[in-house]
Amino acid sequence: MMYFLIEEYYPILLLLFISIGLALVILGASYFLGIQRPDTEKTSVYECGFDPYEDSRNKFDVRFYLVAILFILFDLEAMFLFPWAVSLGQISSMGFWTMIDFLFELTVGFVYVWKIGALEWE
Amino acid sequence: MSFLLSTYVLPRLDLVELFDLNQYMDFFLLQQNHFKMVLPEVFLATSILVITIHSSLLATSRSFGFPLLTKSFGKLCILVLALTFLLVNNNSITFMLIYQNTFIFDVLTTNVKEIILISSIFCLLISEETILKQQINNFEYFILILCAILGLMFLVSSYDMISLYLAVEMQSLCLYVLAAAKKDSSFSTEAGLKYFILGSFSSALLLFGISILYGCVGTTNFDSFYLFFSGISFEGFTLTPSIEKALLCISAAFFFKIAAAPFHMWSPDVYEGAPTSSTIFFAVIPKIALFSVFLRLFKTIFGSFEETLLFPLMFFSIVSVIIGSFVALRQKKLKRLLAYSSISHVGYLLLAFSANSLEGTQSLLFYLIIYMLTSLSIWSVVLSLNTSVNKEKSKTLIDLASIGNSNPLLGFSGMLAFFSLAGVPPLAGFFAKMEIFVSSLSASLFFVSLVAILSSVISSFYYIRLIKTMYFEVKEDNFFVFPVTRSCSLTLGITIFFLFFLFFNPSLFLILTQKMAICLY
Repeated sequence: MMYFLIEEYYPILLLLFISIGLALVILGASYFLGIQRPDTEKTSVYECGFDPYEDSRNKFDVRFYLVAILFILFDLEAMFLFPWAVSLGQISSMGFWTMIDFLFELTVGFVYVWKIGALEWE
Repeated sequence: MSFLLSTYVLPRLDLVELFDLNQYMDFFLLQQNHFKMVLPEVFLATSILVITIHSSLLATSRSFGFPLLTKSFGKLCILVLALTFLLVNNNSITFMLIYQNTFIFDVLTTNVKEIILISSIFCLLISEETILKQQINNFEYFILILCAILGLMFLVSSYDMISLYLAVEMQSLCLYVLAAAKKDSSFSTEAGLKYFILGSFSSALLLFGISILYGCVGTTNFDSFYLFFSGISFEGFTLTPSIEKALLCISAAFFFKIAAAPFHMWSPDVYEGAPTSSTIFFAVIPKIALFSVFLRLFKTIFGSFEETLLFPLMFFSIVSVIIGSFVALRQKKLKRLLAYSSISHVGYLLLAFSANSLEGTQSLLFYLIIYMLTSLSIWSVVLSLNTSVNKEKSKTLIDLASIGNSNPLLGFSGMLAFFSLAGVPPLAGFFAKMEIFVSSLSASLFFVSLVAILSSVISSFYYIRLIKTMYFEVKEDNFFVFPVTRSCSLTLGITIFFLFFLFFNPSLFLILTQKMAICLY
């Protein structure tokens, strides 16, 4: 039975090979067939102004992470709400009250986040 | 019917019309009993929510002067856990599967939950002072402990791969944060990060195994697995190799979580780096929950694959016992030493796991209980050591020196606890170890038992060295007696009493563990 299961994945394997091959062909063709005459004008940074002054990887404030994490948290809530709302007819009242419970607990978390001052920027 | 309707708040009427009324009635009839079974968990969860709101409002209120809540929260958590214990203890139904077979309630789960709750009450009792001393002033610390206990309670009674995974994640996420609780210490942060990375790796293994199982069988429910595999004949059954791989992945995740030997690398670092109050919690509590759920998984649900699991169990048992005994010989820090000693004890537990018999399972559970008692007493000795001189430094073996002279009672209890860990009669540790070796020998695992017995001789060296340090070595600043806190001495007294008592009359826990073990067969 595992046999048939694996067989069903052959198109994906085929797609993987084709895409790797295609990428190699396109990159390789432009590398080997194209005429390359580099000069300072061509290899320098263009269209975006000038060379950067410093490394772009520097420390930045932990508050950005905090906001991002909180955003993901409340965004996921909406992700749960949509399928729940669509399938409300099929799930029993158990499903309904489960979501209400979830929302309630999320609200407790929100109160905690608010009172502890995680939402304040300054 | 009117009685039923009146006892519950009805949903909105237009929603009621969506459903067949009959089904609706059945739903409440069913849920009534289901709700009774999860009442302890619901109580614990509700108290966590209440405490969260209460503390976040109070700790930030200007009119109360931003009070430090940690001073009273230890007591509050103990109260909550004690009430939860009463609720667990008070249910009259001995067996039930609830919420579409997602959770199981039987003698095993009830007893393991009670043990978890009692031992976490003791952990909180002995570590309360330390939490204040370490200046962990976040009230979240206690909420996280309660959340971890809630996760462990769900883990014990989970009967579906999804609920198992979610419960494992719930407890381990709380434990990661507990490991990193001391925000200004880089050791604690490092411990938390290490624990998080390796823990999520093991969770990924667990998920991988579960997904392979799901791909083969098409269900995640333990009950369906049991029905599927119980009547199977293995000749011509093409799924066997992939199910074996899945079981290996799941057991690897399990060995990660209990820190069995080739997967033990995180545990000494985490034990050492984490604040001591969190280390006590990791060291004592999660093992029994993990063992109970994986015993159910490997003994009952996948009982027909016992041949596959026998070899990895024996291998991990031997390796953990050897590494736990030999590496601990060279440890200088107390917490690392205890981490390695716990690895070797996991090895003995796995030896009992691989002895595929009722006696093996029973001796495993018995050993777990005795081990928890012993480690509670050892940790309360460690916490009572004088640390006022060098507060920041982690405790080394020399901190134990001359305790036996300066505080004879503490030294004597410490000696008894270490002797019990080493397995010296007349203490309960000896009896538990003997049970394990007897059951493994009667399952004719001669080689593994021989290795384990020899390593246990080696490991008794470092326990005896600790006792020697306590009695015969001299350290200048230990001549001043620092009083042991009341809760520590209480815990120490109770555990030491049980270590003696259970050697002479072990039938109390033997009957209990037998009842628990019978559930699995």
